[in-house]
Amino acid sequence: MNARMFAARAALPVVAAVAVGAQAHAADFDWKKFQGKTVTFLANNNPVGLALLTYKADFEKLTGMTLKVDGYQEQQMRQRLVTVMNARSDEVDVFMTLPSREGEQFAAAGWYADLSAMSKNEAAAEYDLAGLSQALLKAGTFNGKLTSMPMNIEGPILYYRTDILKKCGVEKPATIKDLEAAAQKIKACDSTITPFVSRGLKPAVAYTFSNMLHNIGGTYMANGKSNLCSPKGKQTLDTYSRLLREYGPPGVVNYSFQQISALYRGGRAAMSFESSNELRTVMDGGERLKDTGLAPFPAGEAGQVPTAIGWGIAVSAYSRQPEAAWYFVQWATSPEIQKRMALQGIAPPRPAVANDPEYRKWIDAEPVRKEWQAALDVLATKGSSEVGYPIVANPQSREFIGQAVQDLILKQKTVDQACAEADKALDALIAQK
Amino acid sequence: MTDAPTTDRWIRYLNLLQLALAGIIILAPTVWMVLSSLKPSFEVTAYPPTLVFTPTLENYVQLMKTTPFASYAVNSLIVTIGSTSLGLLFGIPAAFAVSWTRVSWPAILTLAARMAPGTLFLLPWYVMFRQVGMIGSYTALILSHAVITLPIVIWVLLPSFDGIPRSVYEAAQVDGCSVTRILWRIALPLVGSGIAVAAILAFVFSWNYFLFALVLSNGDSKTLIAAAFNFIGEGSTQWGALMAAATLIALPPLILAALVQRWLVSGLTLGAVKG
Amino acid sequence: MSDAAATLTQDRQRLELSALSAPAVIFTVAMIAFPVVYTIWLGFQSFSSTGKQSFAGIANYSKLASDYEFWHGLWITIALYILALVLQLVFGVWLALVLFHAKRLPGIVRSMFISPFMMPPVVAGMMWLVILDPSLGAANYILQSLGLPPSEWLASPTWVIPTVALIDSWQWTPYVALIVLGGLQSLPPSVYEAAQIDGASPFKTFQRITLPLLLPTIVTAAILRSVDLLRFFDIIYITTQGGPGNASNTLNVYGFRVGFEFFNIGYASALMLTLTAIVFGAVLAFNRLRGAVAW
Repeated sequence: MNARMFAARAALPVVAAVAVGAQAHAADFDWKKFQGKTVTFLANNNPVGLALLTYKADFEKLTGMTLKVDGYQEQQMRQRLVTVMNARSDEVDVFMTLPSREGEQFAAAGWYADLSAMSKNEAAAEYDLAGLSQALLKAGTFNGKLTSMPMNIEGPILYYRTDILKKCGVEKPATIKDLEAAAQKIKACDSTITPFVSRGLKPAVAYTFSNMLHNIGGTYMANGKSNLCSPKGKQTLDTYSRLLREYGPPGVVNYSFQQISALYRGGRAAMSFESSNELRTVMDGGERLKDTGLAPFPAGEAGQVPTAIGWGIAVSAYSRQPEAAWYFVQWATSPEIQKRMALQGIAPPRPAVANDPEYRKWIDAEPVRKEWQAALDVLATKGSSEVGYPIVANPQSREFIGQAVQDLILKQKTVDQACAEADKALDALIAQK
Repeated sequence: MTDAPTTDRWIRYLNLLQLALAGIIILAPTVWMVLSSLKPSFEVTAYPPTLVFTPTLENYVQLMKTTPFASYAVNSLIVTIGSTSLGLLFGIPAAFAVSWTRVSWPAILTLAARMAPGTLFLLPWYVMFRQVGMIGSYTALILSHAVITLPIVIWVLLPSFDGIPRSVYEAAQVDGCSVTRILWRIALPLVGSGIAVAAILAFVFSWNYFLFALVLSNGDSKTLIAAAFNFIGEGSTQWGALMAAATLIALPPLILAALVQRWLVSGLTLGAVKG
Repeated sequence: MSDAAATLTQDRQRLELSALSAPAVIFTVAMIAFPVVYTIWLGFQSFSSTGKQSFAGIANYSKLASDYEFWHGLWITIALYILALVLQLVFGVWLALVLFHAKRLPGIVRSMFISPFMMPPVVAGMMWLVILDPSLGAANYILQSLGLPPSEWLASPTWVIPTVALIDSWQWTPYVALIVLGGLQSLPPSVYEAAQIDGASPFKTFQRITLPLLLPTIVTAAILRSVDLLRFFDIIYITTQGGPGNASNTLNVYGFRVGFEFFNIGYASALMLTLTAIVFGAVLAFNRLRGAVAW
């Protein structure tokens, strides 16, 4: 019995098994095992995917495999994935996925290969499975199956203009109440500035809204029913929509990251609640480099429970070479590659990498980066990956949250009407099997 | 009486005015797009919009550096030329036959494909082309785009063929010409401008179509228009590069339009009235 | 030539003509038969929300009848269709008349007038998205410079459909104009001369003579645009994705989202087929209308 088989059979606890399995064949891990094979990777052309692919040649050199990349913007990527998977095609071996959005649905449909065994038994010594964020690994586990490996950690954070806050005599907001008071003061102090901007586009709202809901202490569901009409649910709906209605830009109901970042980057918004991934876009041109502060979203009654999610990289259940595909996945999420990606501004899902001296040096080079990493540290320790309802039809649940928020921003309904309608639709969605 | 000439002159001025108005509305957005592509990337969304700026080619350079723009363009050209040729190859004889026999169902059948939403075809075609191992091949894309070009060719050419007097065919028949020979030797030369228009329109519509390429192509055969979405992703939105890409993508159809505008009017003329 | 020989020639002729249209027919059937059959089959399948597949009978279609989003989508589709079609026909005829009278316009300038429909709709959508952004775009800047109130354009549930109709009309009015221009150029000059002798005003001439003669051409343009407008997709896909709220959720956009964003392929198929039937019905109706106004 060789070492690998021993590791596979021994019923050891997870971490121990990793240690044994890894050490046992540290010396003989054969990166060239699948030499000559071609792995097809359906990638998202977001910063995470792009940063990873800058090292494509290294992977090919290390393994002797060919990596065929098919990159799309998120929506088109999903469209292609749905087609490929519905056709049960083996064309795609590896794909990027958002477990917090589609994880449960894809898992239920059987689209993910189970990585649990391979991640323990087929990993190089230096892989360090236990070093990955346990919260993110958990977020990618459905019915005991590990469906994807985390590539990064991200979440919405507050970008604010230190100079405008100073000019208007406002402190950095510590609570949601402070935030609203600050917005009010800024509005009175400089009418040319948009005091606060965040997501208003229907399918995009849940990302930022969830953070506020959790900070306030609300939950999406209680006793198997939708819970938006609970006092805390209504409070969140009311506050979120009021902030955008009173202090947001005109047309905020169509705002997602593109518009939000353009507005803030252009110096026309004082506070922006947007993804940590947008740092690079916001700093483009350097104008915001010296006057921007970053922080997790201000606390509510339940303190700070920031939204922390990550892109995952998964092996298709229809892949005909899951093991070769796994080689790419483990290379892509290895400490070495994640460190190199971190130096390109991709927040690493490994605490150890976040403490790496080289990465620290990069962080310390700009005050903005320091605050960015500090905010991400809060996300990593306190974060919740719940964006929208924790149900199979999560993507659709986000529609109803967004609809309720939009109805309120546009003053088309009262809070009671909006939450009741959303609850009704969401209860039907929850009941759907 | 000097009344009539004055009225005429006023009418002419009024017409010029209307022409200028229409021209501004039609051209301004495109001009603005081209100007935007020459601005530094973050200045595209600057407010108030800058009119005076130092033009730069940085967006175009960026585009060429970060994307395999040229190879996407080649893909687009292959698919577009392929599907246009296929559309002409099948469409010319069909239009001729329909015009001759006055049996119009083949023409209507080809149009039926245009009545269904494009998304309806995505999954079935993927399954279909998957079966024969053609996903990612130019062939799959050319065939799918020919579904767009074929009805254009037929419907533009129908009236052109209709415009040929019957007597011409009859004379040829008396001389013992077969139908096929009549098409190639007699009818075809008479509908030259119609074919030019059909080819141009087929080219434009095929070039501009993005939906099929999203699922039928892959990394290697992706068309330009399908790749255009890549500039608006989270964390990587580059308005400048987007506008530069938009300008370059729109260029081939616009150049074609300029080259053949005279035929376009006369060719469509026939199409519209008799069709 | 004997009768028998004539029949023989005719038979051969018919055969040859069939052979000429055969490639187009066979190709089209080969390309669309499978998708249509497959989609009909999918329409009877239930994918639930887990992607697990089972036979569902007409469940998807009965769901359609009680689905608020479907009826709303149908209403949005029709509203957008009528608005855009009217805009494009009215301005198309106007532009055609303007171009018709500007006979000495250089070719290159004339081609600029028809350029918008040559532009990829995706590109047009992206371009207008930037121009019409309420806070960042040039459109509101121009309005405000002229002392007019800014609009929220695509971000207002009230204005999003008119705005989308305007974008589409910007792109396709020149196409309609081109078709109508063709119709104008083929009108016999004699009809104008007769009117001039009668001393009719230019407006009267247009109303009494030109317009009625142009009707078949206009109906042709209407058919061509109907096929696209009822399946409205590209520009909304780029700009609003059906929002704000569901204010621009046309049937085609809704069907797309159900299938590719919510992963319910069965219900999406039922939606697409229903939409196809609607387009088909509209084309048939228009075809009859054209028969009625043809001269």
